[in-house]
Amino acid sequence: MMASNKQRPAKLSVYLYIPNIVVSTFGAVLDMVTDRVSTACLLVILSQIYRPSLVFLSLLALDIASHWLQMYSTFLSGKTSHKDVKDSTSWLFRLYYGNRMFMGYCCVSCEILYIILFLISKNHTENLMSVVVESLTQFSPLSLLLALSIFGWSIKQIINVIQMKTAADVCVLYDIDKQHKP
Amino acid sequence: MTKKERPRPEKLSVYLYIPNIVGYMRVLLNCVAFAVCFSNKTLFSLLYFFSFCCDAVDGWCARRFNQVSTFGAVLDMVTDRVSTACLLVVLSQVYRPSLVFLSLLALDIASHWLQMYSTFLAGKSSHKDVKDSTSWLFRLYYGNRIFMCYCCVSCEVLYIILLLIAKNQTENLVNVVVSTLTQISPLSLLLALTIFGWSMKQTVNIIQMKTAADVCVLYDIEKQQKKP
Repeated sequence: MMASNKQRPAKLSVYLYIPNIVVSTFGAVLDMVTDRVSTACLLVILSQIYRPSLVFLSLLALDIASHWLQMYSTFLSGKTSHKDVKDSTSWLFRLYYGNRMFMGYCCVSCEILYIILFLISKNHTENLMSVVVESLTQFSPLSLLLALSIFGWSIKQIINVIQMKTAADVCVLYDIDKQHKP
Repeated sequence: MTKKERPRPEKLSVYLYIPNIVGYMRVLLNCVAFAVCFSNKTLFSLLYFFSFCCDAVDGWCARRFNQVSTFGAVLDMVTDRVSTACLLVVLSQVYRPSLVFLSLLALDIASHWLQMYSTFLAGKSSHKDVKDSTSWLFRLYYGNRIFMCYCCVSCEVLYIILLLIAKNQTENLVNVVVSTLTQISPLSLLLALTIFGWSMKQTVNIIQMKTAADVCVLYDIEKQQKKP
């Protein structure tokens, strides 16, 4: 009991780091979870507004699965020596992870695309294809923004898919490594 | 280069482990289930529930055939999370207020994410006793496998029941639940039992988030204390 009494003030002070200027594990996890949950909720709302809702259901599935696998493989990589799995032969992968601005553009594009789709819907059950095509063919500033964000979004989703395969490989190699060690 | 060549055949063999094949089947079942969930609720329920049962099968296969793999465990976990998330999305479309299911989705993702993170960190620190929480509910849940199973199964069964008993596209959740409970039928009993198990699971999820967050914080504190 004495040990936990001594630690208690220290624990509270980490929770009260504002605004996590000091890097903490809890802060990083809180960040990650907030991202995942907020994107998930936005996709749920979009799945209610647009038809077919299967589109946004699939995007939700891809988002959760790819980030989950990615996190798991990051933890496992920290324990194995096979960190070179990420040096994939995929030029897209290397471009994405090599260039911070490109990565930033892709991630921001996703969020902006979802927000735009939410804002331009007038009725409660819109046909997704109709709305997108209509907005693109308007040739307005909105069309340009929509086109740019769709491009960035598609790159991000492709990366997500590649990521799942790469992360799965890390999981498999982790077991194989463990078996080879005496 | 030769180092990479050698593991490759072994890599494929892990992907082809029997429990992992069961895992792929589960993913396929869920894909088909959600493709028909709006047009054929009964078929969806059967496929979803069958996939849920396969969850137990692949664990059994892994132990029986000595084919336990990290990839298999992760595939299992991800399939669980995604299928539950999708079911909650569908329910949020069928019931009002949809915020209820949105919140359950948020809680499910957040609690399991934090839990997994803290499991990894706990493996690195000496503070594994964080889980010895003063919460009696926590100890009951983790101490008793059957109780844990009852709570988990209750969640899935409750969600499937709610989907099946919805007649229109925008039902009022409280009305439907209350009217079904007051019918005093076998369904009422099943609903009551699942609601109880489900509430236990959600309570544990909340406690888990706090416990996991503590592990993250303690991990940093220990790291700092270890510094020379």
